[in-house]
Amino acid sequence: MNLSGLKYLSRQGVHNLVKNRLMSVASVGVLTACLVITGIAALLSANVASFVDYLGAQNKVIVYLQLDATEEQAQAAYAEVKQIPNITEIKYTSKEDALNQTKEWISGYDSGAYAGVLDGYEGENNPLYASFAVTVTDLTQISTTVSQLSKVTSVDFVDSPSELASTLVALKQTVMVAGWGLVAVLALVAVVVISNTIRLTVFARRKEINIMKFVGATNSFIRMPFWIEGTLIGAISAVLAFGVVSGAYVWVLKLASTSGISWLQSIYFTFLPYNAVWMYLLGGFVGAGIVLGGIGSCLSIRKYLKV
Amino acid sequence: MIEFKNVKKVYPGGNVALHDVSLKIDKGEFVFVLGHSGAGKSTFLKLILHEEEATEGSVIVNDYDLSAIKNRDIPYMRRSLGVVFQDFRLIPTMTAYDNVAFAMRVTNTPEKEIRKRVPYVLGLVGLAEKARSYPPELSGGEQQRISLARALVHSPPIIIADEPTGNIDPELSVEIMELLTAINKVGVTVVVVTHEQDLAARFHKRTIYIDKGQVIADTQGDTLSSPSHAMEVAK
Repeated sequence: MNLSGLKYLSRQGVHNLVKNRLMSVASVGVLTACLVITGIAALLSANVASFVDYLGAQNKVIVYLQLDATEEQAQAAYAEVKQIPNITEIKYTSKEDALNQTKEWISGYDSGAYAGVLDGYEGENNPLYASFAVTVTDLTQISTTVSQLSKVTSVDFVDSPSELASTLVALKQTVMVAGWGLVAVLALVAVVVISNTIRLTVFARRKEINIMKFVGATNSFIRMPFWIEGTLIGAISAVLAFGVVSGAYVWVLKLASTSGISWLQSIYFTFLPYNAVWMYLLGGFVGAGIVLGGIGSCLSIRKYLKV
Repeated sequence: MIEFKNVKKVYPGGNVALHDVSLKIDKGEFVFVLGHSGAGKSTFLKLILHEEEATEGSVIVNDYDLSAIKNRDIPYMRRSLGVVFQDFRLIPTMTAYDNVAFAMRVTNTPEKEIRKRVPYVLGLVGLAEKARSYPPELSGGEQQRISLARALVHSPPIIIADEPTGNIDPELSVEIMELLTAINKVGVTVVVVTHEQDLAARFHKRTIYIDKGQVIADTQGDTLSSPSHAMEVAK
Protein backbone atom coordinates (compact mmCIF):
# COMPACT_ATOMS: atom_id res chain seq x y z
CA MET A 1 0.00 0.00 0.00
CA ASN A 2 1.41 3.38 -0.98
CA LEU A 3 1.15 6.61 0.99
CA SER A 4 -1.59 8.21 -1.11
CA GLY A 5 -3.66 5.02 -0.87
CA LEU A 6 -3.29 4.98 2.90
CA LYS A 7 -4.19 8.67 3.12
CA TYR A 8 -7.27 8.11 0.99
CA LEU A 9 -8.42 5.14 3.10
CA SER A 10 -7.84 6.92 6.42
CA ARG A 11 -9.81 9.92 5.15
CA GLN A 12 -12.66 7.62 4.17
CA GLY A 13 -12.62 5.95 7.59
CA VAL A 14 -12.78 9.27 9.47
CA HIS A 15 -15.41 10.53 7.00
CA ASN A 16 -17.61 7.49 7.77
CA LEU A 17 -17.23 8.06 11.50
CA VAL A 18 -18.26 11.73 11.27
CA LYS A 19 -21.07 11.17 8.77
CA ASN A 20 -22.47 8.41 10.93
CA ARG A 21 -21.92 10.44 14.11
CA LEU A 22 -25.10 9.64 15.99
CA MET A 23 -24.49 5.91 15.75
CA SER A 24 -20.77 6.46 16.33
CA VAL A 25 -21.51 8.29 19.59
CA ALA A 26 -23.92 5.53 20.62
CA SER A 27 -21.31 2.85 19.86
CA VAL A 28 -18.60 4.74 21.72
CA GLY A 29 -21.00 5.05 24.68
CA VAL A 30 -21.85 1.36 24.79
CA LEU A 31 -18.29 0.23 24.21
CA THR A 32 -17.00 2.63 26.88
CA ALA A 33 -19.56 1.25 29.34
CA CYS A 34 -18.52 -2.32 28.50
CA LEU A 35 -14.85 -1.48 28.94
CA VAL A 36 -15.50 0.36 32.23
CA ILE A 37 -17.35 -2.63 33.68
CA THR A 38 -14.62 -4.96 32.39
CA GLY A 39 -11.93 -2.73 33.89
CA ILE A 40 -13.67 -2.64 37.26
CA ALA A 41 -14.07 -6.43 37.20
CA ALA A 42 -10.39 -6.85 36.32
CA LEU A 43 -9.24 -4.47 39.08
CA LEU A 44 -11.53 -6.16 41.57
CA SER A 45 -10.27 -9.63 40.75
CA ALA A 46 -6.62 -8.49 40.75
CA ASN A 47 -7.11 -6.92 44.17
CA VAL A 48 -8.90 -9.97 45.54
CA ALA A 49 -6.03 -12.10 44.23
CA SER A 50 -3.50 -9.83 45.90
CA PHE A 51 -5.48 -9.93 49.15
CA VAL A 52 -5.70 -13.72 49.01
CA ASP A 53 -1.96 -13.96 48.38
CA TYR A 54 -1.37 -11.72 51.37
CA LEU A 55 -3.57 -13.90 53.57
CA GLY A 56 -1.84 -16.99 52.26
CA ALA A 57 1.57 -15.57 53.15
CA GLN A 58 0.37 -15.00 56.71
CA ASN A 59 -0.39 -18.65 57.17
CA LYS A 60 2.78 -20.60 57.63
CA VAL A 61 3.32 -24.33 57.52
CA ILE A 62 5.05 -25.48 60.71
CA VAL A 63 7.44 -28.43 60.42
CA TYR A 64 8.12 -30.02 63.85
CA LEU A 65 11.33 -31.99 64.33
CA GLN A 66 11.53 -35.07 66.52
CA LEU A 67 11.86 -34.30 70.25
CA ASP A 68 15.31 -35.79 70.51
CA ALA A 69 16.66 -34.23 67.28
CA THR A 70 20.13 -32.75 67.78
CA GLU A 71 21.38 -29.39 66.44
CA GLU A 72 23.25 -31.27 63.67
CA GLN A 73 20.12 -33.13 62.67
CA ALA A 74 18.21 -29.85 62.64
CA GLN A 75 20.82 -28.33 60.32
CA ALA A 76 20.62 -31.34 58.02
CA ALA A 77 16.82 -31.07 57.98
CA TYR A 78 17.10 -27.34 57.22
CA ALA A 79 19.27 -28.13 54.20
CA GLU A 80 16.74 -30.71 53.00
CA VAL A 81 13.77 -28.35 53.45
CA LYS A 82 15.63 -25.71 51.46
CA GLN A 83 15.71 -28.05 48.45
CA ILE A 84 11.92 -28.43 48.35
CA PRO A 85 10.26 -26.24 45.69
CA ASN A 86 7.33 -23.86 46.36
CA ILE A 87 8.91 -22.49 49.55
CA THR A 88 9.97 -18.88 49.95
CA GLU A 89 10.94 -18.48 53.57
CA ILE A 90 12.18 -20.82 56.31
CA LYS A 91 12.43 -19.68 59.92
CA TYR A 92 14.07 -22.03 62.43
CA THR A 93 13.01 -22.09 66.06
CA SER A 94 15.18 -24.25 68.32
CA LYS A 95 13.85 -26.06 71.39
CA GLU A 96 15.37 -23.36 73.62
CA ASP A 97 13.85 -20.55 71.58
CA ALA A 98 10.47 -22.29 71.74
CA LEU A 99 10.74 -22.60 75.51
CA ASN A 100 11.84 -18.96 75.91
CA GLN A 101 9.03 -17.71 73.69
CA THR A 102 6.49 -19.74 75.67
CA LYS A 103 7.91 -18.49 78.97
CA GLU A 104 7.69 -14.92 77.75
CA TRP A 105 4.10 -15.42 76.67
CA ILE A 106 3.12 -17.01 80.01
CA SER A 107 4.77 -14.29 82.03
CA GLY A 108 2.71 -11.69 80.24
CA TYR A 109 -0.51 -13.68 80.74
CA ASP A 110 -2.93 -12.76 83.55
CA SER A 111 -0.53 -10.13 85.01
CA GLY A 112 2.27 -12.67 85.49
CA ALA A 113 0.19 -15.02 87.72
CA TYR A 114 1.77 -18.06 86.10
CA ALA A 115 5.33 -16.75 85.60
CA GLY A 116 7.85 -19.38 86.60
CA VAL A 117 5.57 -22.32 85.88
CA LEU A 118 8.00 -23.56 83.24
CA ASP A 119 11.09 -23.24 85.37
CA GLY A 120 12.95 -26.50 85.48
CA TYR A 121 12.04 -27.59 81.98
CA GLU A 122 15.30 -26.40 80.43
CA GLY A 123 17.86 -28.67 78.77
CA GLU A 124 16.95 -32.33 78.60
CA ASN A 125 13.60 -31.73 80.27
CA ASN A 126 12.46 -29.37 77.51
CA PRO A 127 9.12 -30.80 76.27
CA LEU A 128 8.89 -28.50 73.24
CA TYR A 129 9.74 -29.27 69.64
CA ALA A 130 12.28 -27.53 67.48
CA SER A 131 10.50 -26.34 64.32
CA PHE A 132 10.68 -24.60 60.94
CA ALA A 133 8.04 -22.02 60.01
CA VAL A 134 7.77 -22.31 56.24
CA THR A 135 6.03 -19.88 53.85
CA VAL A 136 4.46 -21.51 50.80
CA THR A 137 4.48 -19.64 47.46
CA ASP A 138 1.60 -21.31 45.64
CA LEU A 139 -1.25 -22.28 47.93
CA THR A 140 -2.77 -24.60 45.34
CA GLN A 141 0.29 -26.84 45.69
CA ILE A 142 0.24 -26.87 49.48
CA SER A 143 -0.65 -30.58 49.93
CA THR A 144 2.27 -31.71 47.73
CA THR A 145 4.63 -29.45 49.64
CA VAL A 146 3.36 -30.72 52.99
CA SER A 147 3.86 -34.36 51.99
CA GLN A 148 7.39 -33.56 50.84
CA LEU A 149 8.09 -31.80 54.13
CA SER A 150 6.80 -34.82 56.11
CA LYS A 151 9.38 -37.03 54.41
CA VAL A 152 12.36 -34.91 55.49
CA THR A 153 14.70 -36.78 57.88
CA SER A 154 14.15 -36.05 61.61
CA VAL A 155 10.74 -34.49 60.94
CA ASP A 156 8.10 -35.69 63.40
CA PHE A 157 4.96 -34.03 61.99
CA VAL A 158 3.80 -31.08 59.89
CA ASP A 159 1.05 -28.66 60.82
CA SER A 160 -0.50 -26.84 57.83
CA PRO A 161 -3.49 -24.56 57.34
CA SER A 162 -4.79 -26.79 54.48
CA GLU A 163 -8.46 -26.00 54.90
CA LEU A 164 -7.90 -22.28 54.94
CA ALA A 165 -5.61 -22.63 51.96
CA SER A 166 -8.23 -24.50 49.94
CA THR A 167 -10.88 -21.90 50.82
CA LEU A 168 -8.60 -19.08 49.70
CA VAL A 169 -7.69 -20.89 46.50
CA ALA A 170 -11.37 -21.51 45.72
CA LEU A 171 -12.18 -17.86 46.40
CA LYS A 172 -9.44 -16.69 44.07
CA GLN A 173 -10.53 -19.10 41.34
CA THR A 174 -14.19 -18.07 41.62
CA VAL A 175 -13.29 -14.41 41.32
CA MET A 176 -11.09 -15.14 38.29
CA VAL A 177 -13.72 -17.27 36.52
CA ALA A 178 -16.48 -14.74 37.19
CA GLY A 179 -14.21 -11.92 35.98
CA TRP A 180 -13.32 -13.70 32.74
CA GLY A 181 -16.94 -14.72 32.17
CA LEU A 182 -18.00 -11.10 32.48
CA VAL A 183 -15.22 -10.03 30.10
CA ALA A 184 -16.37 -12.59 27.50
CA VAL A 185 -20.02 -11.50 27.65
CA LEU A 186 -19.14 -7.81 27.43
CA ALA A 187 -16.75 -8.44 24.54
CA LEU A 188 -19.58 -10.12 22.64
CA VAL A 189 -21.92 -7.18 23.34
CA ALA A 190 -19.25 -4.75 22.15
CA VAL A 191 -18.65 -6.67 18.90
CA VAL A 192 -22.39 -6.78 18.13
CA VAL A 193 -22.83 -3.05 18.80
CA ILE A 194 -19.85 -2.01 16.69
CA SER A 195 -20.71 -4.34 13.85
CA ASN A 196 -24.25 -2.92 13.76
CA THR A 197 -22.96 0.64 13.59
CA ILE A 198 -20.62 -0.18 10.77
CA ARG A 199 -23.27 -2.22 9.02
CA LEU A 200 -25.15 1.08 8.60
CA THR A 201 -22.17 2.67 6.85
CA VAL A 202 -21.63 -0.43 4.76
CA PHE A 203 -25.30 -0.47 3.78
CA ALA A 204 -25.24 3.21 2.83
CA ARG A 205 -22.17 2.56 0.70
CA ARG A 206 -23.09 -0.83 -0.74
CA LYS A 207 -23.33 0.63 -4.26
CA GLU A 208 -19.85 2.08 -3.90
CA ILE A 209 -18.53 -1.25 -2.63
CA ASN A 210 -20.09 -2.99 -5.62
CA ILE A 211 -18.41 -0.55 -8.01
CA MET A 212 -15.12 -0.99 -6.17
CA LYS A 213 -15.34 -4.74 -6.72
CA PHE A 214 -15.92 -4.31 -10.45
CA VAL A 215 -13.08 -1.90 -11.00
CA GLY A 216 -10.73 -4.38 -9.32
CA ALA A 217 -10.30 -3.21 -5.72
CA THR A 218 -8.94 -5.93 -3.46
CA ASN A 219 -11.03 -7.06 -0.49
CA SER A 220 -8.51 -5.72 1.98
CA PHE A 221 -8.65 -2.29 0.30
CA ILE A 222 -12.47 -2.26 0.50
CA ARG A 223 -12.40 -3.39 4.10
CA MET A 224 -9.83 -0.83 5.24
CA PRO A 225 -12.02 2.33 5.72
CA PHE A 226 -14.58 0.30 7.68
CA TRP A 227 -11.83 -1.26 9.72
CA ILE A 228 -10.42 2.21 10.43
CA GLU A 229 -13.89 3.38 11.47
CA GLY A 230 -14.27 0.40 13.83
CA THR A 231 -10.84 0.72 15.39
CA LEU A 232 -11.32 4.48 15.85
CA ILE A 233 -14.56 3.79 17.77
CA GLY A 234 -12.59 1.23 19.80
CA ALA A 235 -9.66 3.54 20.48
CA ILE A 236 -11.84 6.51 21.51
CA SER A 237 -13.84 4.26 23.86
CA ALA A 238 -10.62 2.85 25.31
CA VAL A 239 -9.27 6.28 26.21
CA LEU A 240 -12.60 7.33 27.76
CA ALA A 241 -12.88 4.08 29.75
CA PHE A 242 -9.30 4.46 30.95
CA GLY A 243 -10.08 7.97 32.21
CA VAL A 244 -13.19 6.82 34.07
CA VAL A 245 -11.72 3.66 35.62
CA SER A 246 -8.37 5.08 36.65
CA GLY A 247 -10.09 8.18 38.09
CA ALA A 248 -12.39 5.93 40.10
CA TYR A 249 -9.52 3.72 41.30
CA VAL A 250 -7.46 6.68 42.49
CA TRP A 251 -10.54 7.93 44.35
CA VAL A 252 -11.08 4.53 46.03
CA LEU A 253 -7.41 4.36 47.06
CA LYS A 254 -7.62 7.84 48.53
CA LEU A 255 -10.83 6.98 50.33
CA ALA A 256 -9.27 3.82 51.80
CA SER A 257 -6.26 5.67 53.14
CA THR A 258 -7.97 8.77 54.52
CA SER A 259 -11.55 7.84 55.32
CA GLY A 260 -10.87 6.74 58.88
CA ILE A 261 -13.00 3.62 58.36
CA SER A 262 -10.95 1.11 60.31
CA TRP A 263 -11.57 -2.10 58.31
CA LEU A 264 -10.88 -0.22 55.03
CA GLN A 265 -7.66 1.21 56.42
CA SER A 266 -6.59 -2.18 57.73
CA ILE A 267 -6.68 -3.69 54.24
CA TYR A 268 -5.42 -0.56 52.46
CA PHE A 269 -1.86 -1.90 52.17
CA THR A 270 -3.10 -4.96 50.26
CA PHE A 271 -4.56 -2.77 47.46
CA LEU A 272 -2.48 -2.75 44.30
CA PRO A 273 -0.97 0.73 43.95
CA TYR A 274 -2.13 2.85 40.98
CA ASN A 275 1.41 2.91 39.57
CA ALA A 276 1.36 -0.87 39.30
CA VAL A 277 -1.92 -1.08 37.39
CA TRP A 278 -2.34 1.94 35.12
CA MET A 279 -0.26 0.65 32.21
CA TYR A 280 -2.05 -2.70 32.23
CA LEU A 281 -5.38 -0.87 32.25
CA LEU A 282 -4.44 1.44 29.39
CA GLY A 283 -2.82 -1.33 27.35
CA GLY A 284 -5.75 -3.67 27.97
CA PHE A 285 -8.35 -1.06 27.07
CA VAL A 286 -6.63 0.14 23.89
CA GLY A 287 -5.86 -3.45 22.83
CA ALA A 288 -9.39 -4.66 23.55
CA GLY A 289 -10.99 -1.56 21.97
CA ILE A 290 -9.01 -1.90 18.76
CA VAL A 291 -9.45 -5.68 18.50
CA LEU A 292 -13.19 -5.53 19.25
CA GLY A 293 -13.65 -2.60 16.84
CA GLY A 294 -11.72 -4.43 14.14
CA ILE A 295 -13.65 -7.68 14.58
CA GLY A 296 -16.97 -5.81 14.63
CA SER A 297 -16.21 -4.02 11.38
CA CYS A 298 -14.93 -7.13 9.60
CA LEU A 299 -18.09 -9.01 10.52
CA SER A 300 -20.34 -6.31 9.09
CA ILE A 301 -18.70 -6.08 5.68
CA ARG A 302 -18.24 -9.79 4.97
CA LYS A 303 -21.59 -10.15 3.19
CA TYR A 304 -20.87 -7.36 0.70
CA LEU A 305 -17.49 -8.73 -0.31
CA LYS A 306 -18.97 -11.92 -1.76
CA VAL A 307 -19.30 -10.68 -5.32
CA MET B 1 -9.08 -12.84 -24.86
CA ILE B 2 -12.46 -14.37 -23.94
CA GLU B 3 -13.22 -18.03 -24.40
CA PHE B 4 -16.19 -20.16 -23.32
CA LYS B 5 -15.68 -23.92 -23.54
CA ASN B 6 -18.86 -26.02 -23.18
CA VAL B 7 -20.15 -23.72 -20.49
CA LYS B 8 -23.25 -24.65 -18.56
CA LYS B 9 -24.75 -22.53 -15.82
CA VAL B 10 -27.49 -23.83 -13.58
CA TYR B 11 -28.75 -21.57 -10.79
CA PRO B 12 -29.77 -22.97 -7.42
CA GLY B 13 -33.38 -24.01 -7.97
CA GLY B 14 -32.57 -25.71 -11.24
CA ASN B 15 -32.96 -22.82 -13.71
CA VAL B 16 -30.58 -23.53 -16.61
CA ALA B 17 -29.35 -20.11 -17.78
CA LEU B 18 -26.67 -21.23 -20.22
CA HIS B 19 -26.36 -24.59 -21.90
CA ASP B 20 -23.25 -25.89 -23.65
CA VAL B 21 -22.00 -22.48 -24.78
CA SER B 22 -18.71 -22.43 -26.65
CA LEU B 23 -17.34 -19.29 -28.25
CA LYS B 24 -14.15 -17.32 -28.66
CA ILE B 25 -13.62 -13.58 -28.90
CA ASP B 26 -10.17 -12.61 -30.13
CA LYS B 27 -7.98 -9.60 -29.48
CA GLY B 28 -9.12 -6.45 -31.28
CA GLU B 29 -12.60 -7.73 -32.17
CA PHE B 30 -15.83 -5.74 -31.89
CA VAL B 31 -18.63 -8.12 -30.96
CA PHE B 32 -22.34 -7.70 -30.24
CA VAL B 33 -23.95 -10.28 -27.97
CA LEU B 34 -27.61 -10.10 -28.87
CA GLY B 35 -30.63 -11.66 -27.22
CA HIS B 36 -34.01 -11.02 -25.64
CA SER B 37 -34.28 -10.46 -21.93
CA GLY B 38 -34.05 -13.79 -20.17
CA ALA B 39 -32.05 -15.29 -23.05
CA GLY B 40 -28.93 -15.69 -20.91
CA LYS B 41 -27.04 -12.45 -21.74
CA SER B 42 -26.78 -11.36 -18.12
CA THR B 43 -25.46 -14.74 -17.07
CA PHE B 44 -22.94 -14.57 -19.92
CA LEU B 45 -21.75 -11.24 -18.53
CA LYS B 46 -21.75 -12.41 -14.92
CA LEU B 47 -19.56 -15.36 -15.83
CA ILE B 48 -17.03 -13.07 -17.54
CA LEU B 49 -16.93 -10.74 -14.52
CA HIS B 50 -16.75 -13.77 -12.22
CA GLU B 51 -19.84 -12.59 -10.40
CA GLU B 52 -21.08 -16.15 -10.95
CA GLU B 53 -19.18 -19.36 -11.60
CA ALA B 54 -19.89 -21.82 -14.41
CA THR B 55 -21.51 -25.08 -13.31
CA GLU B 56 -19.69 -26.96 -16.07
CA GLY B 57 -17.06 -26.06 -18.65
CA SER B 58 -14.54 -23.27 -18.44
CA VAL B 59 -14.43 -19.53 -19.00
CA ILE B 60 -11.10 -17.94 -19.85
CA VAL B 61 -10.68 -14.16 -19.70
CA ASN B 62 -7.35 -12.51 -20.51
CA ASP B 63 -5.49 -15.75 -19.77
CA TYR B 64 -7.25 -16.20 -16.40
CA ASP B 65 -9.06 -19.54 -16.21
CA LEU B 66 -12.05 -18.48 -14.10
CA SER B 67 -12.95 -22.02 -13.06
CA ALA B 68 -9.62 -22.27 -11.25
CA ILE B 69 -8.89 -18.61 -10.39
CA LYS B 70 -7.65 -17.90 -6.87
CA ASN B 71 -9.63 -15.41 -4.81
CA ARG B 72 -6.66 -13.07 -4.56
CA ASP B 73 -6.36 -12.94 -8.37
CA ILE B 74 -9.97 -11.90 -9.00
CA PRO B 75 -9.34 -8.13 -8.48
CA TYR B 76 -6.42 -8.27 -10.91
CA MET B 77 -8.51 -10.14 -13.49
CA ARG B 78 -11.19 -7.43 -13.17
CA ARG B 79 -8.62 -4.70 -13.68
CA SER B 80 -7.98 -6.19 -17.11
CA LEU B 81 -11.61 -5.49 -18.02
CA GLY B 82 -13.34 -2.14 -18.44
CA VAL B 83 -17.05 -2.45 -17.74
CA VAL B 84 -19.82 -0.04 -18.76
CA PHE B 85 -23.17 -0.71 -17.13
CA GLN B 86 -26.66 0.12 -18.36
CA ASP B 87 -27.41 2.03 -15.14
CA PHE B 88 -23.97 3.78 -15.31
CA ARG B 89 -23.19 2.90 -11.65
CA LEU B 90 -21.74 6.32 -10.88
CA ILE B 91 -21.51 7.59 -7.32
CA PRO B 92 -23.89 10.59 -7.17
CA THR B 93 -22.01 12.34 -4.37
CA MET B 94 -18.74 12.41 -6.32
CA THR B 95 -17.86 14.71 -9.21
CA ALA B 96 -17.28 13.30 -12.68
CA TYR B 97 -13.53 13.64 -12.04
CA ASP B 98 -13.74 11.77 -8.73
CA ASN B 99 -15.91 9.03 -10.19
CA VAL B 100 -13.21 8.29 -12.74
CA ALA B 101 -10.38 8.82 -10.24
CA PHE B 102 -12.19 6.45 -7.85
CA ALA B 103 -11.38 3.47 -10.10
CA MET B 104 -7.70 4.39 -9.87
CA ARG B 105 -7.73 5.21 -6.16
CA VAL B 106 -9.24 1.88 -5.20
CA THR B 107 -6.51 0.12 -7.15
CA ASN B 108 -3.91 2.03 -5.20
CA THR B 109 -2.65 4.27 -8.03
CA PRO B 110 -0.43 7.17 -6.88
CA GLU B 111 -2.29 10.52 -6.81
CA LYS B 112 0.25 12.06 -9.18
CA GLU B 113 -0.62 9.56 -11.88
CA ILE B 114 -4.36 10.03 -11.24
CA ARG B 115 -4.03 13.80 -11.80
CA LYS B 116 -2.47 13.15 -15.21
CA ARG B 117 -4.62 10.27 -16.39
CA VAL B 118 -8.16 11.34 -15.39
CA PRO B 119 -8.30 14.64 -17.38
CA TYR B 120 -6.85 12.80 -20.37
CA VAL B 121 -9.55 10.10 -20.29
CA LEU B 122 -12.30 12.66 -19.69
CA GLY B 123 -10.97 14.44 -22.79
CA LEU B 124 -11.19 11.21 -24.79
CA VAL B 125 -14.92 10.92 -24.08
CA GLY B 126 -15.38 14.65 -24.72
CA LEU B 127 -16.25 15.68 -21.17
CA ALA B 128 -13.14 17.51 -20.01
CA GLU B 129 -15.18 20.60 -19.21
CA LYS B 130 -17.66 18.65 -17.07
CA ALA B 131 -15.02 17.29 -14.67
CA ARG B 132 -16.46 19.22 -11.72
CA SER B 133 -20.10 18.32 -12.37
CA TYR B 134 -21.97 15.75 -10.31
CA PRO B 135 -23.76 12.87 -12.07
CA PRO B 136 -27.30 14.18 -11.33
CA GLU B 137 -26.36 17.42 -13.16
CA LEU B 138 -25.44 15.49 -16.31
CA SER B 139 -27.60 13.99 -19.07
CA GLY B 140 -27.91 10.23 -19.48
CA GLY B 141 -25.52 10.27 -22.43
CA GLU B 142 -22.97 12.28 -20.47
CA GLN B 143 -23.25 9.96 -17.49
CA GLN B 144 -22.68 6.99 -19.75
CA ARG B 145 -19.59 8.69 -21.17
CA ILE B 146 -18.26 9.22 -17.63
CA SER B 147 -18.89 5.54 -17.02
CA LEU B 148 -16.98 4.77 -20.22
CA ALA B 149 -14.12 7.04 -19.10
CA ARG B 150 -13.98 5.09 -15.83
CA ALA B 151 -13.84 1.82 -17.77
CA LEU B 152 -11.00 3.18 -19.92
CA VAL B 153 -8.91 4.68 -17.17
CA HIS B 154 -6.84 1.53 -16.57
CA SER B 155 -6.26 1.07 -20.36
CA PRO B 156 -7.82 -2.40 -20.23
CA PRO B 157 -7.42 -4.71 -23.25
CA ILE B 158 -11.17 -5.47 -23.17
CA ILE B 159 -14.18 -3.16 -22.77
CA ILE B 160 -17.47 -4.83 -21.92
CA ALA B 161 -20.60 -2.73 -22.30
CA ASP B 162 -23.85 -4.03 -20.81
CA GLU B 163 -26.79 -2.40 -22.63
CA PRO B 164 -24.76 0.83 -22.91
CA THR B 165 -27.54 2.63 -24.75
CA GLY B 166 -30.43 1.21 -22.74
CA ASN B 167 -31.00 4.28 -20.61
CA ILE B 168 -30.21 7.08 -23.07
CA ASP B 169 -31.82 8.82 -26.06
CA PRO B 170 -31.40 7.16 -29.47
CA GLU B 171 -29.31 10.00 -30.92
CA LEU B 172 -26.97 9.87 -27.96
CA SER B 173 -26.74 6.09 -28.36
CA VAL B 174 -24.98 6.63 -31.66
CA GLU B 175 -22.46 8.88 -29.93
CA ILE B 176 -21.65 6.18 -27.39
CA MET B 177 -21.39 3.53 -30.08
CA GLU B 178 -19.09 5.75 -32.11
CA LEU B 179 -16.87 6.21 -29.08
CA LEU B 180 -16.74 2.45 -28.61
CA THR B 181 -15.86 2.02 -32.29
CA ALA B 182 -13.05 4.56 -31.97
CA ILE B 183 -11.73 2.73 -28.89
CA ASN B 184 -11.86 -0.56 -30.83
CA LYS B 185 -9.84 1.02 -33.66
CA VAL B 186 -6.87 1.50 -31.36
CA GLY B 187 -6.82 -2.23 -30.64
CA VAL B 188 -9.14 -2.59 -27.66
CA THR B 189 -11.51 -5.57 -27.79
CA VAL B 190 -15.11 -4.38 -27.39
CA VAL B 191 -18.02 -6.60 -26.36
CA VAL B 192 -21.46 -4.95 -26.41
CA VAL B 193 -24.23 -6.95 -24.75
CA THR B 194 -27.64 -5.71 -25.90
CA HIS B 195 -31.18 -6.64 -26.75
CA GLU B 196 -31.40 -3.86 -29.38
CA GLN B 197 -31.38 -5.56 -32.73
CA ASP B 198 -31.37 -2.24 -34.63
CA LEU B 199 -28.26 -1.05 -32.86
CA ALA B 200 -26.35 -4.20 -33.81
CA ALA B 201 -27.72 -4.03 -37.35
CA ARG B 202 -26.39 -0.51 -37.87
CA PHE B 203 -22.74 -1.34 -37.18
CA HIS B 204 -22.16 -4.49 -39.24
CA LYS B 205 -20.00 -6.22 -36.67
CA ARG B 206 -19.71 -9.80 -35.52
CA THR B 207 -22.91 -10.69 -33.66
CA ILE B 208 -23.44 -13.64 -31.33
CA TYR B 209 -27.10 -14.54 -30.83
CA ILE B 210 -28.12 -16.06 -27.55
CA ASP B 211 -31.55 -17.57 -27.03
CA LYS B 212 -32.82 -19.85 -24.25
CA GLY B 213 -29.31 -20.19 -22.90
CA GLN B 214 -27.71 -21.30 -26.15
CA VAL B 215 -25.71 -19.64 -28.92
CA ILE B 216 -28.06 -19.95 -31.87
CA ALA B 217 -26.00 -17.97 -34.38
CA ASP B 218 -22.62 -16.30 -34.71
CA THR B 219 -22.44 -14.06 -37.76
CA GLN B 220 -19.70 -11.88 -39.15
CA GLY B 221 -20.89 -8.44 -40.24
CA ASP B 222 -24.40 -9.24 -41.47
CA THR B 223 -26.82 -8.86 -38.65
CA LEU B 224 -29.90 -11.02 -38.86
CA SER B 225 -33.32 -9.48 -38.69
CA SER B 226 -34.94 -11.77 -36.13
CA PRO B 227 -34.18 -14.66 -33.85
CA SER B 228 -36.26 -16.94 -36.05
CA HIS B 229 -34.15 -15.89 -39.00
CA ALA B 230 -31.12 -16.59 -36.82
CA MET B 231 -32.44 -20.04 -36.07
CA GLU B 232 -32.66 -20.72 -39.78
CA VAL B 233 -29.14 -19.50 -40.39
CA ALA B 234 -27.93 -21.59 -37.48
CA LYS B 235 -29.33 -24.69 -39.16
